[in-house]
Amino acid sequence: MRLLTHNMLSSNIKGVEKGFPLRIEAEKVVEKPVEMNADFLRKMFEKVEWKAFVEASRSMGYAQLPEEVDSGMLESDEFLSRFHHALLELHLEEGALVCPETGRRFPVNKGIPNMLLHEDEV
Amino acid sequence: MALLATTTIAFKTINTQIRSRSFLPAQRHLPLSSPPPSSSFFRIVSVKAMELEQKDPMVIDENGVLKKGIAEFYDESSAIWEDIWGDHMHHGFYPPDSTISLSDHRAAQIRMIEQALRFASIPLAEDERKWPKKIVDVGCGIGGSSRYLSEKFGATAIGITLSPIQAQRANALAAAQGLANKVSFQVADALDQPFPDGQFDLVWSMESGEHMPDKAKFVSELARVAAPGATIIIVTWCHRDLGPDEESLKPWEEKHLKKICDAFYLPAWCSTADYVKLLESLSLQDIKSEDWSPYVAPFWPAVIRSALSWKGLTSLLRSGLKTIKGALAMPLMIEGFKKDLIKFAIITCRKPE
Repeated sequence: MRLLTHNMLSSNIKGVEKGFPLRIEAEKVVEKPVEMNADFLRKMFEKVEWKAFVEASRSMGYAQLPEEVDSGMLESDEFLSRFHHALLELHLEEGALVCPETGRRFPVNKGIPNMLLHEDEV
Repeated sequence: MALLATTTIAFKTINTQIRSRSFLPAQRHLPLSSPPPSSSFFRIVSVKAMELEQKDPMVIDENGVLKKGIAEFYDESSAIWEDIWGDHMHHGFYPPDSTISLSDHRAAQIRMIEQALRFASIPLAEDERKWPKKIVDVGCGIGGSSRYLSEKFGATAIGITLSPIQAQRANALAAAQGLANKVSFQVADALDQPFPDGQFDLVWSMESGEHMPDKAKFVSELARVAAPGATIIIVTWCHRDLGPDEESLKPWEEKHLKKICDAFYLPAWCSTADYVKLLESLSLQDIKSEDWSPYVAPFWPAVIRSALSWKGLTSLLRSGLKTIKGALAMPLMIEGFKKDLIKFAIITCRKPE
């Protein structure tokens, strides 16, 4: 699971008011290099919830992202390359996504989160 | 007992079809021997099914069991489907008056996606700014639609399925096609989508609605994750709309659908009109629906032909009970369409800005 995906997921347990962002418990993180596409990054920049993204990136072991951003930074190659690395090249292979309100763990196995709810959470 | 009844109906139907020669398998480059005649196909396959059923009695009566059944059905059968049909697990669209070759099923499946987009008035080449940028594929199979739509619009697509095997395969295919940075797949329930509200500009459900036990919840989740101004596209199997003085389908119709439900892990069916009512109740706009049954008529005979091919038959026999039972129920789909009971429907709408 990449951080691009993590940025779109939330806990949907019944009664939870704020299920986003999910905390990451990283057991196995793998880096898989992929070609950078600056246009794609600029498009995604508009959509990414930045605070959640920085925190998630830190949980995955990468702390090189600025806390605060503005679109001017998209001109910087250095910034783009860090953004690219955190968004698309870090993979959570094994671990869990944790509901921020209830602490419930959604397991991640072989890179795939299992977001299915139990009967009593629906 | 249900299995024997299914087998008998399937056998009778196939026999009738054989006699009218409406779908004999094409003789292509077969290995050493050709496939056995279809009567022995059904004998062989149903004996195998009965053997397996001793070990795995099947019951559908609760949603939890249904979900498990759906996951296991697709865990078991996705690879066979992909092997014979490719990565789109939905009907092809076959325009009746055209001269397009009916045997190019992959092209027909792609045509189905394109026709659905067109029906929903998704802007095409002219205005890229209006293209969807974030797409959710609800009941994504092995991700055929997600990958196609992502590539077409340069959008991100996220797919959800109950089947871990499908999610894995979908991700692997995305990686192989260089789309892994735009498209991802997770195990999740369409009735409780793991997304915050208003995330997606295109909410896509291609032939998954028939698996949803709670249509109201299903539709309300589709609406919830749609962003303001987003388009929702549902392509699904329904039963015919009820007449003005009808409270329910006729008993033979209920019985017929029940047999299909048991084989394909489907909960109770609803009509296209029911979907429209649900969308109206959520104040969605531009609601449109159409009966596309005439455009999918060649599909099930083609699937049956592929099952009767040597590759199809040997794969089925190596597969499990669930896949076999699904295969045996295919003639029931043809019969259902012919009797105007089963409808292939498209329903689209827009979330208000």
